[in-house]
Amino acid sequence: MTTVQGLNRDRLKELFDLRSSYNTLMGGDFQTDPYPLWARLRAEAPVHDGTVHRLSGYSGEAFFQGLPFPEVPHFSAFTFAACDAALRDEVTFASSPTVLGESSETPGFETSMLSMNGAMHRRYRALVQPSFVPAKAGWWITKWIEETVQLLVDGLVDQGRAELNVDFCAAIPILTITHSFGIPIEQALEVRASLSQPAKIAAMLAPIVAARREDPQDDLISVLVQAELRDEDGVHQRLSDLEIYSFAILLLLAGSGTTWKQMGIVLTALLERPELLAAVRSDRSLLRPAIEEALRWTPTDPMFSRHVTRDTEFFGKHLPAGSVLHLCLGAANRDPARWDRPDEFDPRRPVKRSLGFGGGFHICLGMHVARAEMLVGIGALLDRLPNLRLDPDGPQPRYIGMYERGATEIPVVFG
Amino acid sequence: MSADQGVAVVDRTRCVGSGMCIVYAPGTFAHDAEVKAVVLDPPGDDLETIETAIEACPTSALRLGGEQEEQ
Ligand code: HEM
Ligand code: SF4
Repeated sequence: MTTVQGLNRDRLKELFDLRSSYNTLMGGDFQTDPYPLWARLRAEAPVHDGTVHRLSGYSGEAFFQGLPFPEVPHFSAFTFAACDAALRDEVTFASSPTVLGESSETPGFETSMLSMNGAMHRRYRALVQPSFVPAKAGWWITKWIEETVQLLVDGLVDQGRAELNVDFCAAIPILTITHSFGIPIEQALEVRASLSQPAKIAAMLAPIVAARREDPQDDLISVLVQAELRDEDGVHQRLSDLEIYSFAILLLLAGSGTTWKQMGIVLTALLERPELLAAVRSDRSLLRPAIEEALRWTPTDPMFSRHVTRDTEFFGKHLPAGSVLHLCLGAANRDPARWDRPDEFDPRRPVKRSLGFGGGFHICLGMHVARAEMLVGIGALLDRLPNLRLDPDGPQPRYIGMYERGATEIPVVFG
Repeated sequence: MSADQGVAVVDRTRCVGSGMCIVYAPGTFAHDAEVKAVVLDPPGDDLETIETAIEACPTSALRLGGEQEEQ
């Protein structure tokens, strides 16, 4: 059996600390609470000129979807109605500035499904969607999530205290995905460290892809090597190695940092509200609504972007073709037109979709996996760490980050 | 029973199989073998829950069916 304890803690901390240099590109050094400002912007107008980070007073350079593109005009939407409308209209609001060709030369997320549009996107998405449906959550949990979670808790349970953000929340998603690819645990951190070097990840995946082509297993790479893509003329063809690398890199990029930070946000929101935490502990059916509410209240990715394909009048603004429209999902998720007391974290509010997982045809592919990881992870902490509470003598967690929001650290004591 | 008489109608060309409807109304929606949404008969949720699920569909592939629908 693989030993999760074998993970190098210092390396883990370096890679997963929101303030460390790895993450400043996404605005990890943004420290202020943007929500009061977003509320003002949202009340002023549905759509503003400029990027979300500039409008939020962040002066650094930030990179994310739709950025930087310095040569074109930028706009940002702040209401639920405007963000939802843009997400649902992929013809006017496309996921890439140019139409992607079928044959690309380099693996990476620029050439992955995330950047595709229309029928091409649908064909690629249909290949993998069957592995990511609610009915597959049990497969993910028993094959790739549960054991890792229990081993991580084994490592904490006798210590009486822990830092859950890095030692727990960060570890689960990266281990789940690498595990489901068949990457050995010793290489999981190397994968995380190489996310910005697709060629290195492709090299790590190459022997696994070759092995699964020979001898398919019950894992994700086998799903990809066996998947058949039907082109416009109905001809079936298998994914190339390059396409598999691109898809695997997309999953690593989209599925590890996000779930880590969102799980930290759920945990922090509960730990900061001991009565609610006690309620969730005694009635576990409240955990799922608490996760949904955290995705609304503080989505880890509060902004995604679309490229405007044709001149359009949009919620009072003229958007020229070629410009970028940033969708401030964080602001949309607290729109008082859709939610009462929007700034309150209240898992008991009436159930309603938020934009925490996005919307439209690109809605998060991994959302049921992410939900399963958070449910199993936080559930195990509640089951096995009695009297879990924030460490009264430790630093209190704060929510930071511009385009990847999360908790600074989550020091807890228990027992 | 024709599709339009069910409590909800699925536009199969727009459904990407996201599973959002199943999150919000698991007693009413499921996936078929092609991972497209299907409406269970009889539906296992109240109308309000079903409406929440229809609104939650990210690709606007769902609408109310049967009497709730004009045409
Ligand atoms: C709580 C954690 C997560 C959050 C908040 C989240 C959020 C999002 C959002 C907002 C999008 C839409 C992007 C857009 O519209 O351009 C998205 C797309 C995506 N996510 Fe997630 N995600 C999470 C976890 C995951 C996980 C665990 C995986 C994979 C295992 C994953 C895989 C993907 C993929 C592949 C896409 C692109 C889908 C497409 O283009 O059709 N995500 N995610
Ligand atoms: S929510 Fe919409 S796209 Fe997703 S499975 Fe249901 S009908 Fe299909």
